[in-house]
Amino acid sequence: MFTKYIFFFLSTVALYSAIMVLLSRKPIHSVLYLTLTFFAIAGHYILLNAQFLAVVHVIVYAGAIMVLFLFTVMLLNLNKEEVSPKPVWIKIVAIIAGCLLMIVLIGIFRGYDIAIEKDPALTQIGLVKNLGQVLYKQYLLPFELASILFLTAMVGAVLLGKKEQI
Amino acid sequence: MQFIPISYYLIFCSVLFCIGVIGVLIKRNALLILMSVELMINSINLLLAAFSTYLNDPAGQIFVFFIMVVAAAEVAIGLAIIVVIYRTTHSIDIDVLNKLKW
Amino acid sequence: MSTIISLSVLGVLILAEGLLGKKAWHLPTILIGLLVSLALTLSGWNLNLHYYNEMMIVDNSSVAFSSILIFTTFLIFMFAGHYYRGVQRPLDDIYAILIFALVGSVMMTSFGNLIMLFLGIETLSIALYVLAGSHKEAITSNEATLKYFLMGSFLSGFLLFGIALLYGASGSLNMDEISAYTVREAAHLSPMFKAGLFLLIIGLAFKIAIVPFHFWAPDVYEGTPTLLTAFMATVVKVASIVALFRLFSHCFPAIRETWETTLWILAVLTILVGNLTGLYQPNLKRMLAYSSISHSGYMMLAVLAFSARSADALLLYAAAYSVATVTAFGILILVRGAKGNDLFTSFEGLGRKNPVEAVCLTIALLSLTGIPPLAGFMAKYYLFATALEKGYLWLVILAVLGSAISVGYYFKPIISMYLKEGEGIKLEAGFAYKTHIVFLTVLTILLGLLPAFLINLL
Repeated sequence: MFTKYIFFFLSTVALYSAIMVLLSRKPIHSVLYLTLTFFAIAGHYILLNAQFLAVVHVIVYAGAIMVLFLFTVMLLNLNKEEVSPKPVWIKIVAIIAGCLLMIVLIGIFRGYDIAIEKDPALTQIGLVKNLGQVLYKQYLLPFELASILFLTAMVGAVLLGKKEQI
Repeated sequence: MQFIPISYYLIFCSVLFCIGVIGVLIKRNALLILMSVELMINSINLLLAAFSTYLNDPAGQIFVFFIMVVAAAEVAIGLAIIVVIYRTTHSIDIDVLNKLKW
Repeated sequence: MSTIISLSVLGVLILAEGLLGKKAWHLPTILIGLLVSLALTLSGWNLNLHYYNEMMIVDNSSVAFSSILIFTTFLIFMFAGHYYRGVQRPLDDIYAILIFALVGSVMMTSFGNLIMLFLGIETLSIALYVLAGSHKEAITSNEATLKYFLMGSFLSGFLLFGIALLYGASGSLNMDEISAYTVREAAHLSPMFKAGLFLLIIGLAFKIAIVPFHFWAPDVYEGTPTLLTAFMATVVKVASIVALFRLFSHCFPAIRETWETTLWILAVLTILVGNLTGLYQPNLKRMLAYSSISHSGYMMLAVLAFSARSADALLLYAAAYSVATVTAFGILILVRGAKGNDLFTSFEGLGRKNPVEAVCLTIALLSLTGIPPLAGFMAKYYLFATALEKGYLWLVILAVLGSAISVGYYFKPIISMYLKEGEGIKLEAGFAYKTHIVFLTVLTILLGLLPAFLINLL
């Protein structure tokens, strides 16, 4: 029962801060609410006993990505309110479309269930040792090829970011 | 002892995903659109991790790991693009850019 | 496998040359490197190798399509020297990213696991976001990259959600196991699997630019530097279509009726909307963007009418389309260089001043329209024949109607070149450039006359 309460608490925090990301007037507040969402999701990973993912998630999202966002906001001095928001009818249409998508997805998932024998919190696959075994044996090739993706992103970010000396 | 049914995770993730979708559609600030996309990606990550745990199969968690790798690279590129745009137009409002018609 | 390794090494080599400041070495290295990896790719013919727990499956179709992608990239790089001739900035980064994009597209033709598909798509996409914005001073280039990036990462989300649902329903990311699952559960497929399938189609349709997910394509094509647009319109397009083809022919043939109608509607919409909107474009580059959209509609026919012969037809079509499009972009680069724009009025009088270029552009456009005896006609013929075999009569009728509409815009530049009086400009093409364009034209004609060369391969 206790895990259920934690689940609901974390979900409420995550959804509340996700909505606040959209409602905040200043970009910097949005970034901070997004960080809160990320921490709530890290809590969910721990609830699922996916320890490796929880740690990587905090390092990558809360550590790297949030710092990048904050850095951009500060660097470009973007912390202003939106001057001319989109017209109201576009917002209403967008919200209706989003809600429809949500209703469809929830309708699909409602009756779905996977029969489990033991508590998901006790599965061992999310531990660093077990995931490492799988990652470096079965998934070695995608792991290596991800480095090409990183190299591309690195070269690309330098290409876009540096100022030309003509 | 009662476990949390997988459908709880499914519903939570679809709600979070749709909040992200709505954010992309209603915002004009490129930075906030990027943040909404991050919300979407996070909901997918959690969904995959939940599936992986309930199916007792590590492939899902490995996939989450790769999605994180890609998301980090994508954000780096995206913010570089936003900086370039800001240098030329002094704005990151997507409606300022209308030289090419949709 | 050797293809991916050799191409990655080539990309790193270019970066190293850039570090040493040997700018003149770039193009020779790339051209030789591409030929070497083409040879390495072809050496995998008939071997049917599976790498690293089915992560990559190099069968004959992936060898053939990878070769086409590498060869097309080679053809595009032949224009690079002319396109970047006055540029002072170092070019190693742009060239290296192009090569890495090619690695991503090769991954998309030979994946055996959805993780590899995702990594391939993302490597290609990230490289393209950068390439679209590589002309940093031009505001159009900035706009193209921002639009592409925001739309691309948004739609990647749908693709991922689709993959996540497929995983949840079938319990695996491996293509063979998903296929086994669909065979087992064909009668009572879970709604989650169907939802995942549709989200996956949306995500891939965006990458291919299929109507109604095509609206980014004309803007991005127009804003991107022309040489890189040629890459987008050929290599990226073919790689994405092949990924769709591979996915559907390997994983989902057992549940055909689930996706058949959706793809049918998407194909018809793409062919009709692409061709009709193409009629109203003011310049050649946007017109070629719509042309590429409608051609992806034709290539969807091969996905729908899946059989051994449709793979052959898709191969011929991809080759014919790529060669003709690269030729058209080659001339487009010349005209834009001389005139500064590519409105149809800029082509007036071209027929008299530059007969060679005019003839080559004409043949390329005729091939894209599908006039016999050129490559485009033979490709369309085989493609429509395989679709008819499977009983898609209405689809073929609509596709033929679409081709008839396309005459309306493909003939616009031809009429401007030959029938309109204009002051005309001398295009400054060097000898090598001209030879390359003529070579491409000869290739188009040869593919039309001897399609048997490609048609019975797979």
